[in-house]
Amino acid sequence: MAVPSAFVRRFDLTSRLIHWSLAVPFLLLLLTGLTNYAPRLKALQFAGFRVFAWAHVLLGFAMVAVALVVLLTLLRSRALRAEAATLADLTDADQRWLEHQARALLGRHKAEPPVGRFNAGQRLNALASTAATAALLATGIVLGVNYVQKDVIEVATVNAVFPWHTVIALATIPLVAGHIYLAAVHPGTRESLRGMTRGVVRRDWATRHHPRWVPPTD
Amino acid sequence: MANENDTTTSSSGTPGGSAVSRAKFLGLMAAGGALGYVGMRITGRTAFGWRENTVESSQPKFDPSTYRLTIDGMVDNPVTLTYDELRALPPVHQVSDFQCVEGWSVPDVEWTGVRMQHLIDLVRPAKEARYVTFHSLTGIYRDSLSMQQAGLPDVLLAYDMDGDRLPVARGLPLRVVMPRMYGYKGAKWLRRIEFRDEQDIGYWEQRGWRVDAWIKA
Repeated sequence: MAVPSAFVRRFDLTSRLIHWSLAVPFLLLLLTGLTNYAPRLKALQFAGFRVFAWAHVLLGFAMVAVALVVLLTLLRSRALRAEAATLADLTDADQRWLEHQARALLGRHKAEPPVGRFNAGQRLNALASTAATAALLATGIVLGVNYVQKDVIEVATVNAVFPWHTVIALATIPLVAGHIYLAAVHPGTRESLRGMTRGVVRRDWATRHHPRWVPPTD
Repeated sequence: MANENDTTTSSSGTPGGSAVSRAKFLGLMAAGGALGYVGMRITGRTAFGWRENTVESSQPKFDPSTYRLTIDGMVDNPVTLTYDELRALPPVHQVSDFQCVEGWSVPDVEWTGVRMQHLIDLVRPAKEARYVTFHSLTGIYRDSLSMQQAGLPDVLLAYDMDGDRLPVARGLPLRVVMPRMYGYKGAKWLRRIEFRDEQDIGYWEQRGWRVDAWIKA
């Protein structure tokens, strides 16, 4: 019997490109947006322009363009749509997995329900990130247009939108911090980062964390 | 999964004494609660309230005993007012919205101060005077209004906000309040009002924002 490869493919190149083409501008937008809370940074100017404010607005428009390309790619590719559907598919099994994690936190351990290609945490992270990104881009377009050109959008609309942009952006901080911690820092889970950089993960890790996806081979 | 004792790769911690786990759980709850509380405080203050905008390198110092407001330029009766003299002028209370050109706003701000028209009457502008320039304490920030705009009934020089003395970040000791225009028209840390025959192009107006910053509802 052939010895199975030490690695299994987790994400293809398209999925990885989509992830990073959204993740990089998202992080830059979060950082430039947060300079609003540091008056010294906020005041920083170059040739009369507020550096971080304009960087935030221009990056925002760039990310809208990227998101549209991603959306079109998704609509044109049956394989990508299937991938997205797999990721978003919350079922009763996910609920049981979440209940298990809650019990584990309370110190009551039972066997972890076997997980397929994605666990409930990964699904919820994907759904929450997508929803937050969509909301931030939608509200951001209103604020960005109003920033570069006054009187296009009614002041009442701008006023209604602004707090939501802020609240949603602040809410993504623990989400993003948790995602980066589990993907890159936590010893038990950081193997998953390789799946998003090289596209593969160690077979033994996949078997341990996603046994329904990569069953044990004896 | 019971034979899986590799703690460094287990994602859900090690099975152990319930006392330790309960302490861990309570710790997590406390940390979560603290985080939530801090988050609410930050969100409440930052999403719905004031943001600090300044081009000064530090917040200008204010000493009520040495502060003077100078009103001069093309006027028949230039005056210099101390902080106490300023507060002794007939006060006006006004509730108006504050709208920043960046998009954020603060509704129903309660201002107390002096009506700008009162000061115009006090200094008796010369016939040539058609514009007013407002200078901030350090001289870096300034902005201007036409005499007609400055004389609108809701244009104030405010020294109190929401029932308290103006906070330093909001312009202590005195700021211009012009509710019908975007916030950058309202110079903070005011120390000089100058009457001129030509309009001074303000700090942000030299950088692209409009001189007549009317808010169109």
